[in-house]
Amino acid sequence: MDYRKKSIIGPLSSLKYLFKDPITVRYPKENKKTYPDVEGVSPQYRGRHINDLEKCIGCGTCMDICPTGAIEMVEFDDVKEKFGATKKRPVIDYGRCCFCAFCVDVCTSSSLSMSREFLHSFETPVQLQKDDMGEEISKFFILRPDMKFSTNPGWKTDNEYSWLELERVAMDMINPNERINSFIEIVKGYSKDQAIKEAERCVSCGLCKDVCPIHMDIPEYIQAIFDDNVEESVKQIYRTNPLPEVCGRVCTHKCESACSIGHRGEPVAIRWLKRYAVDSLPLQEYKKVLTTKPIKQVNKKVAIIGSGPAGLSAAYFLTLMGYKVTIYEENEKAGGIMRYGIPAYRLPDDALDKDLDFIISLGVEIKTNYKIDKEKFETIYQQNDAVILSTGFNLGRSTRVPGTEREGVVQALDFLQEVRDYLTGRRKDVQITDNVLVIGGGNVAFDCSRSVARLQKMKYGKVKVTQVCLETLDIIPADKEEVEESGEEGVVLICGRGPKQIIIDENGHVKGLDSMKCESVFDENMNFNPHFNEEDRLICEATMIIEAIGQAPDYSYIPDEMKSKMKFERGKIVLDKDFSTGVEKLFAAGDIVRGPDIVNGIATGLNAAIGIDKKFTT
Amino acid sequence: MTEILTFLGKEDQYEKYELFFGPNHPGMHGNFSYILTVEGHTIKKVDPDPGLLHRGFEKLAERRKWMQNIALIPRICVPEPDINEVIYSISVEKLMEIEVPLRAQYIRTIILEMARIGAFLFGFGGIGGATGLYTASYWTIADRDYLLDLFEWLTGARVYHMFIVPGGVRRDLPSGWIEKLSETVDYLQKRLYEYDRLIYNNPLIVKRLKGIGKLTKEEAIEYGITGPNLRATGVKYDTRKMVPYAAYDRIDFQIPVQSDGDGLARAIQRREEFQLSLEIIRKAIKDLPDGQVRAKMPNPLKFNVPKGEIYVKVESARGEHAYFIVSNGKDKPYRMAVRGGSYTAGLVLAQKILVGMRIEDVALWMSTMDICPPDFDR
Amino acid sequence: MEQKELIEHIEKNFKYKKEIKVIDGKQFTITVEKDKVLNLLSFLKLIDFKQLALITAVDWIDEKKFEIVYILFSYSHIQQILVKTFVDRDNPQVETVKNLWDVASMYERDVHEFFGIDFIGNDDLRPLILHNWKDLPPLRKDFDSLKYSNKMFGKFKKDEEI
Repeated sequence: MDYRKKSIIGPLSSLKYLFKDPITVRYPKENKKTYPDVEGVSPQYRGRHINDLEKCIGCGTCMDICPTGAIEMVEFDDVKEKFGATKKRPVIDYGRCCFCAFCVDVCTSSSLSMSREFLHSFETPVQLQKDDMGEEISKFFILRPDMKFSTNPGWKTDNEYSWLELERVAMDMINPNERINSFIEIVKGYSKDQAIKEAERCVSCGLCKDVCPIHMDIPEYIQAIFDDNVEESVKQIYRTNPLPEVCGRVCTHKCESACSIGHRGEPVAIRWLKRYAVDSLPLQEYKKVLTTKPIKQVNKKVAIIGSGPAGLSAAYFLTLMGYKVTIYEENEKAGGIMRYGIPAYRLPDDALDKDLDFIISLGVEIKTNYKIDKEKFETIYQQNDAVILSTGFNLGRSTRVPGTEREGVVQALDFLQEVRDYLTGRRKDVQITDNVLVIGGGNVAFDCSRSVARLQKMKYGKVKVTQVCLETLDIIPADKEEVEESGEEGVVLICGRGPKQIIIDENGHVKGLDSMKCESVFDENMNFNPHFNEEDRLICEATMIIEAIGQAPDYSYIPDEMKSKMKFERGKIVLDKDFSTGVEKLFAAGDIVRGPDIVNGIATGLNAAIGIDKKFTT
Repeated sequence: MTEILTFLGKEDQYEKYELFFGPNHPGMHGNFSYILTVEGHTIKKVDPDPGLLHRGFEKLAERRKWMQNIALIPRICVPEPDINEVIYSISVEKLMEIEVPLRAQYIRTIILEMARIGAFLFGFGGIGGATGLYTASYWTIADRDYLLDLFEWLTGARVYHMFIVPGGVRRDLPSGWIEKLSETVDYLQKRLYEYDRLIYNNPLIVKRLKGIGKLTKEEAIEYGITGPNLRATGVKYDTRKMVPYAAYDRIDFQIPVQSDGDGLARAIQRREEFQLSLEIIRKAIKDLPDGQVRAKMPNPLKFNVPKGEIYVKVESARGEHAYFIVSNGKDKPYRMAVRGGSYTAGLVLAQKILVGMRIEDVALWMSTMDICPPDFDR
Repeated sequence: MEQKELIEHIEKNFKYKKEIKVIDGKQFTITVEKDKVLNLLSFLKLIDFKQLALITAVDWIDEKKFEIVYILFSYSHIQQILVKTFVDRDNPQVETVKNLWDVASMYERDVHEFFGIDFIGNDDLRPLILHNWKDLPPLRKDFDSLKYSNKMFGKFKKDEEI
């Protein structure tokens, strides 16, 4: 192109501009509309922040990602307390903010967004320019939780373009057709690559740590897994949890319900990551990684009654504190509910044995086959400097409807123990029939029905299990996985029905269950108080019925004068803050303190150990 | 300033003096300065003195996580910030061996070309400013605003977009955006002919630009001159074509070249590349594929880049803009060195080529070379 | 020449000890002893690596070494070469390459200022960018920018992280 083209009429050509639209701004001013549908700035403008205080969980991920350090998490009193949330809320300093909206893209609760409002300048009254300038400026330039600049959101959190991985790394499981044939463990566990990938999802907010009964260092051990440092991870786990193999499989994982990622997607698989860490470190390595030497020497003897999670946890911590610990267990092997209650497909024996072996290797003595009665208890009490009761909820609870006394109606815990004994070969046979009904909606009830399904498959080749529970699906106390997996295995779940009576045929055998509709499970105070509609009946046929509606404690071994000094509430022992029962040198832990839950058992075990240590060292 | 104001007893008392050609000089682009030793109107010695704009980006980047740096690096260069994001993202992707979705590549291409046009418009305005043709700068800056509006719509910000991230881009195109972009491209095309009349066919400008800072091919390569300035000397090389990145390998285009290597050739070369950018945008819009806009990336808080080093360069409006990034496998870059497009031109070539030039041509030379102080003061 | 041919050519004709590592299809690194840098660079310039894109350095504080990187490009081969050499961190000295490329003088000045590396033969190593700098060269890893900032400008409330 020739840019220097000359023309004789060159000067005249400018005349044509007379008829063209001017390019400059026109008067009266014409509003230029660039964006459809909205007035003003761009629909996804990155202006000043909006934070929905109700939605915000105070995880602090925005603070962690902020490239300029403009966000600070500050304790804020006016927010409602809720599960899995702190009272901290972000305070944003616009003197540092660079409006990158990274905080919005990583917000785990999608509470943070950026508005379409911005500030070019602000007016400062002349008289303020000398003295109160700082305060005046901070009013405009620091966003506190109680301030709101705008309700006009621009750049919002969007799951489609999420910076956080919202989906879990899928866990390999044995498929239902295969697993129904045996009691083999269902969950295969993560491989190294899978575990690192899953660990990477964690934002290290620590909300899980607050809700965990034993306050495990979850962000730390997940970080260690991410760094491919299993030793460090196990070390972090063992700081608070002596039964990680068990917890990695059957913990009720409150941490995962609190996980901040869970607000937008699936929570981080904390339980399975813990399991990966301990599974991938062999027992021989434990001693190299973990402290096994007591931190001090105390010449005291402690007896623990019951080798369930609470007893083992107390034993572990007491041993490390330098006490001589003896555990008394009525069964042939230690482990309590973990060995005789939870079915092997959820918690195989070798996993439990690994945890147990490490605790025993520290020098804990376990006396098995040692059934405690009042007399023996008296002796133990005299011989030791302290005694911890951790006998758990080991009695089944009955629905007490007519017919439960018949043969063919069994208790869940008895049944599960029989199954375990059958599997280890100590029993020849388990009494089951080809049509079984389970009453209950907790994890134990599902354990029963799924065990029955397996046994039926092995014995009769087909599954016919019906499970009746009071609660509807949305409030069922069992884990979601249990409901799903039992369905896959052929268990028929009937929700929202309570037992009326057990139907007996003319020969005195169990024939079925007469159930009625449950209108509501809890009363206004959220106490358990079911309300039934007796008109709405349903009869389920069955030749065997398992009652799994809950467990109860057994205090018959405690001498009466001690019992009279202790306080009980709803079957649980009331303790003072040092976990002492009120009787001199008698402590308690586990289900009999906080109700049935493994991780709570571990927590109370630790607390009882601390209580004892406090008694002897201060 | 030893000899300044030395009265020599002749009719010109300012025969030889030192001139601080710094930020306060209307012909200077930004915070940079030359200390010129001048005899009469002719420059005898040039001593570049950068440092007024130094913000320590290379050091700051070492203190921030890989993802956090995205908010930092666009600030290295004001007229064309997106190149920084794209180089950084490409480096991280190459080190991590991540495949970027095709749609994201095309969006990146469109953004880069838009930014490039914006930078060219700035450059046209600069030539106008240096020659006293202020109409040019008013027009170009106003037209650049149309591009900024589009950026605002897409990315939520006008100048520092922080939109291109490792793995792709942060959001998909909003509906209606492409149509608006086509409209703007057509508008700019129309305006380009107006610029031709205003600037490139303007006999005054032509006369002023002709012969300024003439370079040969060999000199240009020797002095590390890149981009439009190199092509103005006749070297047919364009990083977009030869070492393609983003979606440039899928877009067919011809590299325009000039032969003179002087100020006019450089100005015309830029005008041609403006045209080329419009064409590339049109082609990219036509071929824009569907699909994802961001590859799966690790959690930004747990973002480790494998050990390695890489030199990534892209074609910016000022030439080869590049980063040399070293990672030691941790969550932060170990070293990030920036090679600015006009580093060698502004600091080294200036010392040689400005000698013998007249003072009034210094600003013009800087405009035609598109000297940008952030290139040396990272 | 293609990358493979090019590497073969360098392997054959540049006799000194070196290590060649391919980064991707368009670039590779050559690591040499520090006294052979000049030989290698002039050799490369002869085989048409005419553009010196950048001279920079990396502080490997744990190994007590500075890595000096010369980045070259050839417009005919379309290949990028990263020439690397290591110098002792306590006595960082290397010969200047400003006689090969004029632009090197300024890059060397830059690297000297930010890393404290001496380029023997470059007589113009005046401070370029920093004004009245009396601290450690700032891009060294042992220079703590936060500490410096706190010392110079006073402590800011939340500076633990950034």
